[in-house]
Amino acid sequence: MPKHDTPLLDELEKGPWPSFVTDIKRQAATKPECWDILGQVELSYKDRITHWKHGGIVGVFGYGGGIVGRYSDVPKQFPGVAHFHTVRIAQPSGMYYSAAKLRAICDLWQKYGSGMTNMHGSTGDMVLLGTTTPNLEPLFYELTHDLNQDLGGSGSNLRTPACCLGKSRCEWACYDSQALCHFLTNHYQDEIHRPAFPYKFKFKFSACPNDCVAAIARSDFAVIGTWRDDIRINQAEVKAYIDGKTPSNGGAHSGRDWGKFDIKKEVIDLCPTGCMWMEGDTLKIDNKECTRCMHCINVMPRALRPGAEQGATICVGAKAPILDGAQFATMTFPFVKIDAETEFEEVVEKIEKIWDWWMEVGKNRERVGETIQRVGLPTFLKVMEVEPIPQHVREPRSNPYVFWSDEEVEGGFERDIREFRKRHAQ
Amino acid sequence: MALSIDELKAAMIEKATKAPKPQLYIKDFYECDPDAKPRNVKNVANDLVKEGKLMFWSSGSTTMYALPSRIKNEETREAAEESK
Ligand code: HEM
Ligand code: HEM
Ligand code: SF4
Ligand code: SF4
Repeated sequence: MPKHDTPLLDELEKGPWPSFVTDIKRQAATKPECWDILGQVELSYKDRITHWKHGGIVGVFGYGGGIVGRYSDVPKQFPGVAHFHTVRIAQPSGMYYSAAKLRAICDLWQKYGSGMTNMHGSTGDMVLLGTTTPNLEPLFYELTHDLNQDLGGSGSNLRTPACCLGKSRCEWACYDSQALCHFLTNHYQDEIHRPAFPYKFKFKFSACPNDCVAAIARSDFAVIGTWRDDIRINQAEVKAYIDGKTPSNGGAHSGRDWGKFDIKKEVIDLCPTGCMWMEGDTLKIDNKECTRCMHCINVMPRALRPGAEQGATICVGAKAPILDGAQFATMTFPFVKIDAETEFEEVVEKIEKIWDWWMEVGKNRERVGETIQRVGLPTFLKVMEVEPIPQHVREPRSNPYVFWSDEEVEGGFERDIREFRKRHAQ
Repeated sequence: MALSIDELKAAMIEKATKAPKPQLYIKDFYECDPDAKPRNVKNVANDLVKEGKLMFWSSGSTTMYALPSRIKNEETREAAEESK
């Protein structure tokens, strides 16, 4: 396959930063079809339109997800990318793997694909870019039989669940995000591998409100660790921060002199709910006002820790802009126990309640967050059997109308219209 | 009364045969049996794929179902065009 002239792409090699153009050129030394990627992308830059067609019936037997069909719409010009399918591989919980496993996956991809990868895709999967239809079954056989790796989700499936590294390394973890992610991945194999829903559905698990996997922005069902009691304070350690004996933020800002640590300026005044103050040398927190933003804990990790009564908040319905604008997930279940002993039954029960409702009420290609927006949060909360609380309200009221349902009004709405008209002329 | 599995399968194949568009969303099959649970319809659709009577068509973000005889793969379409 010949090299193409790529003056526009070559511009992207000029900065001091890494360049995907350089990477693809390097890969083309062993995989000449990579020249055609560059050729086609150059043409797209010129034409200002993509030349990838997507969609199709490609896949491996028994699976309705994990392979995304990609074709060039100018295959005669760029035969190397005429078929250039994407393969999604389920990543291990918290993305722990050995270098040997990564090498084996890269070797397999060098054998059956273009060698190009995306580690990791936004879903969390390891993404292998570019292979042909005849290579799919042998690749899948070796992936599953020799490497003990599975494909991830795509299409209207449950997508590959993703989690933060949680209790394996992080002292802030309020539940075992890896255990829950692993359990649900096994529990919902059918939903991951075969389409089940009106559209895609994503789980993501962060074990504390720092939300390292951005669950609240990227998942239909975001499980975010939290605590129900008080932030644990070690007053002696608070003093050590104030006296400059312990560097703030675990020393993360030590590259430059920011001056003496100022607990008022850097912690108390930045608390979004203004619920912290000093009484002499003692730090006080009005915990019922705390929104669990993690700021004070991140700044003074030795002095402050999440409370001891831990669980998770479940937010529902984040999405990227496709039909409607982007939106964050909405806080739905304020506190849920995450309990491996009961096989996470509280979480499973909520997932299935949402699915049963959305499969029925959701429109084609409508994410659950859009369904909620369409019917309104009060309706969704009713279906979920959740009592509304002030934290469910996103903004102060701008709508003067209050609607009551029949059963909320004593005597209901039944009335005799003729009786009514006698007293109220039309 | 919900249809039996075999009746539902027959109704779904009929729908996939007669629908104006070859690719159908899972929800399009719900009306084959309004009494069936969506999850059962989904399981039956996936069984029909296993049996080779329906086929998945996926854009990457959405998955649809179609009769194999009614959808052409991109590759067979290309081959057909080239032989013209
Ligand atoms: C100095 C001039 C005006 C003053 C001080 C004034 C003041 C007000 C006030 C206090 C209300 C009641 C708002 C409420 O219930 O919340 C009102 C309503 C209204 N005004 Fe005016 N107004 C003025 C001029 C006008 C003009 C020029 C028009 C039309 C050409 C107009 C049309 C209306 C209408 C239609 C409503 C009813 C709105 C509703 O019910 O939502 N007003 N106005
Ligand atoms: C075919 C023509 C029109 C239609 C279909 C129409 C329809 C409506 C409707 C449905 C409402 C809301 C009523 C409610 O919520 O109770 C409304 C309110 C209103 N319309 Fe019209 N309208 C028309 C023409 C006009 C014109 C020509 C004017 C003024 C010159 C006008 C001024 C208003 C005002 C001021 C209100 C607010 C009334 C209030 O809040 O009390 N409308 N209209
Ligand atoms: S989300 Fe919280 S618990 Fe998970 S890795 Fe990040 S900081 Fe740690
Ligand atoms: S976690 Fe956030 S809201 Fe709570 S006390 Fe600390 S800074 Fe304030």
